[in-house]
Amino acid sequence: MPGMDPIIDALTRRGAAQLAWLRGWRGFGRFAAVAIVESLTPATYNSATRSVVQKQIYFTAWQILPTFTLFSAVLSFVLIQIVVDAARNYGFAQHALEASVRILVLEILPLLTALFVGLRSGAAINTEVALMVVHNEMKALADSGVDPMRFEFIPRVIGGVISVLALTAVASALALVLAYIAVYGFQVWSLSEFNRVMGNIFDIPAIALLWAKVLAFGLAVTVIPISEGLAAPPAKLFFVPISVLRGMVRLFFVLMLVEVISLVLKYI
Amino acid sequence: MERAPVRAPLIKNMEFKVGLLLVLTMILAAGFLFYALFARGAFERTQRLILVTENAEGVEAGMSMTYAGFPVGQVKRMNLTEQGQVRIEMAIPVKDAKWLRETSVFTLEKSLVGGAKIRAFSTNLKDPELQDSAERPLYTGDAAAEIPEILAKVKAILANVNDMTKGDSSINQSLANVKAVTERMTGEYGVIGGVLGAPENARKVVQAIDHTNSLLTSLNGVSLKADGMLGKTDQRVFGQGGVMDEAQKSVVQINAILGDVRESLKKADAILANGQAISADVKEATTDIATLRTEVDDSLTKVNHLINEINRKWPFSRDVEVKLP
Amino acid sequence: MAMAQESEISLISEELPLRANLSVLENIAIVPQYRQNMAYDQAADQAWSLLVGLNRSECAFKRDPDLSREERFVAKLLRAVIRSPSIIIIDRPALLLPDTHYPPFVEATLAALDDKINECWIVDYTWNEPLYAPR
Repeated sequence: MPGMDPIIDALTRRGAAQLAWLRGWRGFGRFAAVAIVESLTPATYNSATRSVVQKQIYFTAWQILPTFTLFSAVLSFVLIQIVVDAARNYGFAQHALEASVRILVLEILPLLTALFVGLRSGAAINTEVALMVVHNEMKALADSGVDPMRFEFIPRVIGGVISVLALTAVASALALVLAYIAVYGFQVWSLSEFNRVMGNIFDIPAIALLWAKVLAFGLAVTVIPISEGLAAPPAKLFFVPISVLRGMVRLFFVLMLVEVISLVLKYI
Repeated sequence: MERAPVRAPLIKNMEFKVGLLLVLTMILAAGFLFYALFARGAFERTQRLILVTENAEGVEAGMSMTYAGFPVGQVKRMNLTEQGQVRIEMAIPVKDAKWLRETSVFTLEKSLVGGAKIRAFSTNLKDPELQDSAERPLYTGDAAAEIPEILAKVKAILANVNDMTKGDSSINQSLANVKAVTERMTGEYGVIGGVLGAPENARKVVQAIDHTNSLLTSLNGVSLKADGMLGKTDQRVFGQGGVMDEAQKSVVQINAILGDVRESLKKADAILANGQAISADVKEATTDIATLRTEVDDSLTKVNHLINEINRKWPFSRDVEVKLP
Repeated sequence: MAMAQESEISLISEELPLRANLSVLENIAIVPQYRQNMAYDQAADQAWSLLVGLNRSECAFKRDPDLSREERFVAKLLRAVIRSPSIIIIDRPALLLPDTHYPPFVEATLAALDDKINECWIVDYTWNEPLYAPR
């Protein structure tokens, strides 16, 4: 049946694309599992890997700390003011603090930090790993007796997770202080009221969920770029931009997925 | 061995900076957990208070109870008993327990917008303090739910009262009759003899007058309360043209109409007093007077019913506020 | 590739580049850092003395693209030497050193590292055999 050939071809291509897509996710899942196990293995930590972790934290968190802090402070303050003003206009002033802290600390700031780190360091890591694969540097490392997985990739994941945690912690702490100032002004006598509202927001499940979410974000912004970079074919330089493109798209979807799952867990 | 001249050429103090950031993060994360526990009162000594109610709709764990607008406790947990009642367990910080006394009253209020509120009222802070694990009823007052019902009843009542005070209503007719009779009785030809035949009939008239008097007192009370209620309602957030505006107008009308009733009954009172004075030397009752008495009694019953109705439907006796947050 | 084999043989090849984001010194130092958990300072000193021994200390803080071919060859060789494998294989030195009359250069470099190398094989095409000094 010659008429069927184009259809069969199309189906074959479609199926191949689907399988490639699935393989990408499988690579991501496998690397994530390896990364988690390895990062919990003490043997992973030696002089060389520690220095990579340090560099990763330095470049991912410390370098952008002033800019990021300033940016998140301005954004937090503006958002808090909007929420507080709106709440006052509609007569919900007593819920303004709770609403703004919930929006910022539980949702926006972790996601924003993850996006920031993902766009900056995630893209860089993806490119670097893809270049390493293309240039055969991994083989070279392995040949000189250094396991590239343990030396290059696991430390980056650890550093990335710690960086996202650190940046989120700093931004959130700042947002809490700013929320207090925006709602109560420059005075300390409303601390007990503030504490009560915070106590209402941050019960143990909420804190656990927040930490788990930040952890997942931290893993996503490093694991996805690395696994995508590793999927690049050796010695094909033209593939690096494609690899970064795919990594960033996948990263975006995973971040949103984590956020949606956290919301589902919270409100169901 | 030769010494490498520069250790880390690219980054100065990298280890220190990274260490600083790590420590800061750990302090923030641990401090946050500690702070959240502290803010939730995990380090605070509390005592228990059990509130029992029929319907705890809108109450949830973590909700706070206020005294004079200040939080003095939180809902710890709640469960439904075998008897179908809700037991709400409150945790009262020991330092705030002094605001709750044996005589304190606890209310659950649900407003049109916003969540429910548990409030504590202590009228006398000299009463003995509330014991740990005390059990108290939680009164519910859902102001919003009763508003439409109240409006409907008030309208019906107004229509009734209106009918009663119209020019051709039974009360006015009765009064006209009374007037005619008394004219006759005080007339030159003295048909008074037929007014009230027996002493027991006279007593009935006196009872009727007593009735009327107490009725007037009640009416006064009602109008005072109504005035107070209106003032209060005004204070609250109900704006002009709001649903309460109509209710307010209706109550003003009630007031005016009840005033009319009062005037009419005063007349009846005066006339009956007259009748009593005259009845001393009366031998036989006249049919006219008997009719009059029945009619006055009828009217009294109606007005009484009206007052009861108002008192029952309009929750003057309760401190109900309709409050929009 | 099995681990035992890896530890026995180090390959120096055009196809196995230096780590691009590390300097020559770091490229050499990470091997003991990683394999023996040696502190960076100590590993860097070890790498430094190897470079000084070959008179190549000026390239210690350069990265791969800034290196001359000879410097790159030396860096790759030292990265293998510091691990002290039983055999070092130099794969087609003509590819690594196209602008150099490489047999004397390789000979001299290996001679300077004589006490640190167990065995070194040079793999080259037979038509290049005349370039090498007869043994």
